[in-house]
Amino acid sequence: MSIAEMLANLEDEAVMAEVKKQISDGVEPMKIFEACQEGMNIVGKKFQDGEYFVSDLMMSSAIFKDVSDVIKPLLGTEGEATIGKVVLGTVEGDIHDIGKDLVHAMLSAGNFEVIDVGIDAPVDAFVNALKENPDAKVLALSCLLTTCYDSLKATVEAVKEAGLTDVKIMIGGGPVDQSVVDFSGADTYGETAQDAVFIAKELM
Amino acid sequence: MQTNKLYDERLELYKKTIKFENERPSTAYGGPATPAAHMGMTIKDYIFDTKRGFKAYIDYINLLNNEAPVDVINTPYAGLFHIPISMMWLSKVKAPGIELPDNSLWQVMEKEMMKVEDYDKILEQGWAEFQQEFLPKVLDMKDLQKFIEYQMAEGPEQAKAMIDNSYPLVNSMGFTPPFEALCGARSMTKFFMDCYKLLDKIKDVQDVMFPVQIEGALQAMKQSNAIGGWVGGWRGASGMVSPKIWDTLVWPYMKKAGDKLLENGFIPIFHLDQNWDRDIERFLEMPRQSCILNTDGMTDLKRARKLLGDHVAFMGDVPAPLLSNGTPETVSDYVKELLDSVGPKGMMITSGCDTPANAKFENVVAMYKTAVDYK
Repeated sequence: MSIAEMLANLEDEAVMAEVKKQISDGVEPMKIFEACQEGMNIVGKKFQDGEYFVSDLMMSSAIFKDVSDVIKPLLGTEGEATIGKVVLGTVEGDIHDIGKDLVHAMLSAGNFEVIDVGIDAPVDAFVNALKENPDAKVLALSCLLTTCYDSLKATVEAVKEAGLTDVKIMIGGGPVDQSVVDFSGADTYGETAQDAVFIAKELM
Repeated sequence: MQTNKLYDERLELYKKTIKFENERPSTAYGGPATPAAHMGMTIKDYIFDTKRGFKAYIDYINLLNNEAPVDVINTPYAGLFHIPISMMWLSKVKAPGIELPDNSLWQVMEKEMMKVEDYDKILEQGWAEFQQEFLPKVLDMKDLQKFIEYQMAEGPEQAKAMIDNSYPLVNSMGFTPPFEALCGARSMTKFFMDCYKLLDKIKDVQDVMFPVQIEGALQAMKQSNAIGGWVGGWRGASGMVSPKIWDTLVWPYMKKAGDKLLENGFIPIFHLDQNWDRDIERFLEMPRQSCILNTDGMTDLKRARKLLGDHVAFMGDVPAPLLSNGTPETVSDYVKELLDSVGPKGMMITSGCDTPANAKFENVVAMYKTAVDYK
């Protein structure tokens, strides 16, 4: 069974053993990493098809993170090439981190570099992160409380007022739908962590 | 406790709705924090100043009821609410005015408070002893004492006021199945990993926990002459966990809890957040027309009605964003469409999960008014 299949089957110990074996056998680290990414793509597809659920996404993300920790130091400059950069965080007033962390994991597995400003993040944290990372073209805002819609809106407005008009903003979280996009002035929203990957690719 | 004619009629309507004998869709109130803003209180004052807070709660429901009947109450007043939530989910809870701004909603902190080796401790010590040791990690015991004193002092007055205002409280007690409690204590990410790696051990732990938990819940319900209570389904939703985890760790305990409530004369309300589509047919395993599924807008009720027929009543499911961001027209359209899909029999209209703290009053009125006017 390939690394991709093992990861897609959520066989954590087998994946790690095979990754270590291939490294010691001299297989190119980038090839091993790409196989892990392929496994994550299969997981994403299974989630989209209703065959996998949030716990499966979490398990696959944990496996991916563990193997990435082993492989990435071996990648050198080759490992720095990503699809693009996303600034991510949960808006001010909201301390929920699970959804944000899951989006972080799925974006990383999808070969995005993620700048995570954390939870309960004030608007300045997002604006500063975007200014410090001018190559970040997507801002992802997480919001789990209807009472934080105003924070979403304030963050979107602050980004625009800072002149960062080429940054596309996607939002997500339990009570987020098109009406919240309309209210906040964001560009779009995603219903799942997997959606975040597709949307980020489209927005890049 | 002495009831009155309207209270009795409403309770009868509730029971008829469960039996699919209701003439019109019934309505249920479901906003633990919604009254605060409308009644001019901060959430901090609303939950800590319990006499004023409870008065605001009743006054708010009366204002709604003046516009359209509120038949039953599905969320009690949220006095010192951060304390029972902390006990339900075995997690630290940040409260407004303490760790959060005065007008912030209470929020559960997602942190690993129980270690993986604690599973063995529970198996060795039993649940009651472990819980006693564990609770101080997530809750100041002085706060727990305050909550008990508050409940003893003000609980009976509140129960009387609910009856005097003719509102049957159909959810007196939220039962947290062992899966949910462990998920809170371990943190969701850690616990979901445990479920893949330690499935059998967690099942053994839950088997130790369940009898103690359910006995405590039943005792509390008996003491308060409850009509019924929630069997909570939050992180154990079908959309959240794989079928193997759900079949092993979630459903057996939810079903057992529902059965136990019924055996003791209480009506179970399965409070189902997130999406339960995959497993919705399993509710056919509950006795016919004995309980309620209280969903939040993510479960497809139209499909559920097709699969479940008149086996089980629904309570739901106007989405929170609609109540906060929508208009009376969009809310009304949603309710009409829902009732067209599932039919008025066996249907109680309320918000999906909690009515949000920033729900517009006119939207909540539209939700109830559309339900009672539905032809």
